[in-house]
Amino acid sequence: MILVCGIPSETPLRLVTSRLEEMGAPFVMLNQRDFARCGIWFEVDGGQIAGELRIGERIFKLEEFSGVYPRMMDDRFLPELSEEPPDSALRNHCRSFHETLTRWMEIAPALVINRCAPMASNSSKPYQTQLIRAQGFRVPETLVTNVPELVREFRSQHGRVIYKSVSAVRSIVQELNDEDEQRLDHIRWCPTQFQAFVEGTNVRVHTIGNEVFATAVQSEATDYRYAARQSGEPAGLREVTLSDELTERCLRLSRSLGLEFAGIDLKVTPEDEVYCFEVNPCPAFSYYEGNTSQPISAAVARRLASGARA
Amino acid sequence: MWMVLCSSSDPSGLWVWEGLKQLGIAPVELVLAEWLAYGARWEHRLDDTGTHLKIALPDGRVLCSSRIRGAINRLLAPPAGIDRRVASEDKEYAQAELHAFYQSWLNGLPGVVINRPAATGLCGSWHHPSEWAYRASRAGLPVPVCRQSCSEVPEQFYRSLAPADATTINVIAFRDEVFGAQVPETIVRGCAKLVRDAGAEMLGIELYAGENGGWVFANATPCPDLSPGGPPLLRSLAQALTEGERP
Repeated sequence: MILVCGIPSETPLRLVTSRLEEMGAPFVMLNQRDFARCGIWFEVDGGQIAGELRIGERIFKLEEFSGVYPRMMDDRFLPELSEEPPDSALRNHCRSFHETLTRWMEIAPALVINRCAPMASNSSKPYQTQLIRAQGFRVPETLVTNVPELVREFRSQHGRVIYKSVSAVRSIVQELNDEDEQRLDHIRWCPTQFQAFVEGTNVRVHTIGNEVFATAVQSEATDYRYAARQSGEPAGLREVTLSDELTERCLRLSRSLGLEFAGIDLKVTPEDEVYCFEVNPCPAFSYYEGNTSQPISAAVARRLASGARA
Repeated sequence: MWMVLCSSSDPSGLWVWEGLKQLGIAPVELVLAEWLAYGARWEHRLDDTGTHLKIALPDGRVLCSSRIRGAINRLLAPPAGIDRRVASEDKEYAQAELHAFYQSWLNGLPGVVINRPAATGLCGSWHHPSEWAYRASRAGLPVPVCRQSCSEVPEQFYRSLAPADATTINVIAFRDEVFGAQVPETIVRGCAKLVRDAGAEMLGIELYAGENGGWVFANATPCPDLSPGGPPLLRSLAQALTEGERP
């Protein structure tokens, strides 16, 4: 049995459940918004984990789940809580339910795509960059500083420089321009991340188990996810094939981070050098699948149905 | 140069700094979280060849990765204070940014770092008690049944597994050794395995006396009180710092 958690109408989740249905793979949909009708408990005893999940009137033994696909939104912001006071019983139940569910998923013997702890490497981009570099990828020259003069030197050295969040919060890539330089004094209170701009073609690589899907992205925007806003033109996406060596390196990177499913952001330079910018541990793959028809959701469904931990 | 990174309210950090100095480790710099909060100039660089750090502290000291040989890292979180400098809607963002920055520069420190940051904590992995129980069990330690239910409030989950009236001891597991109390060899092996499994150099492990008299796992932390380890722990830490990274 497979457990899928989140908001059923969310596109990646909807795609995966559609594929599971087509495969005839048995699954249970846990709609986060139904949390008031749900309950969960588990216990660890002698290294074995057992427990129950209740969804409405139905009760499932946790040990019967062989695959789990959580794509949950921050439960604090569920619409059902919008009118609730900070310490209401409903709000507390929601938090306890999600906390218990998450804690079970961290140690469950099932194949979980993905657990929280490995996903956390993405919450610090330069920290993750160090892990990426250890797997043999080139990484862009990066400066994190609160000293405006160092940023000016860095820009004069590299010409084109981008800046982006150090954390995963508000992570939009922007190019540093003259106007930005005028307000660099603001960084004195909080070190900020700057990177040498790398020319080349963006390639998003999704790894799922041992399968790899590579998509080249053609765009003039600094951050192609916001191409229409930044450059006035939406990005163009097409399927590409990676070399065997690069394929293996991407799989090795995902495994080293403990991720069953990952979205790896690469840039391939005109000299064919491969830079890796980051690894997204909760990829919204539907954007790529929708533009290229690459069967990523089917691969996720297959992996869940296999139930085998890597 | 070696560093002890801690806050001014961390007696263990100050104790280990004094102890290392007395053992002749020199120079060993005390770097308090509070000193990093205001007026420090940060330069943290990464490229294909490595990671570089330069911190100019307000007192004039410059900490540069080219001179750092290792560190005792007891930073639990970035220093507080940014809250007062940003608009309320930006506080969460600013805190996330600082935490992410600390995670990166601490990870990039050269030499032996006890403990290096993990994805889930600045001074090593922080796990929920249910996960510690699972890991401890896999490491071969006796562990009581650990139960969690959504009928409890989440804060109640973060507690020791020891019964309220149990006799407890806190040991420090550093690499393959245990300091702070005499425990049977099977417990030493289990603690050492738990440390390795957590990807850490050191863990504080709470044990309680079970009904049959044997020690039972109760909790673990990557940032324990070090003073129960006494001079033997200090000597072991000094040796690890001066010998450098293990192959």
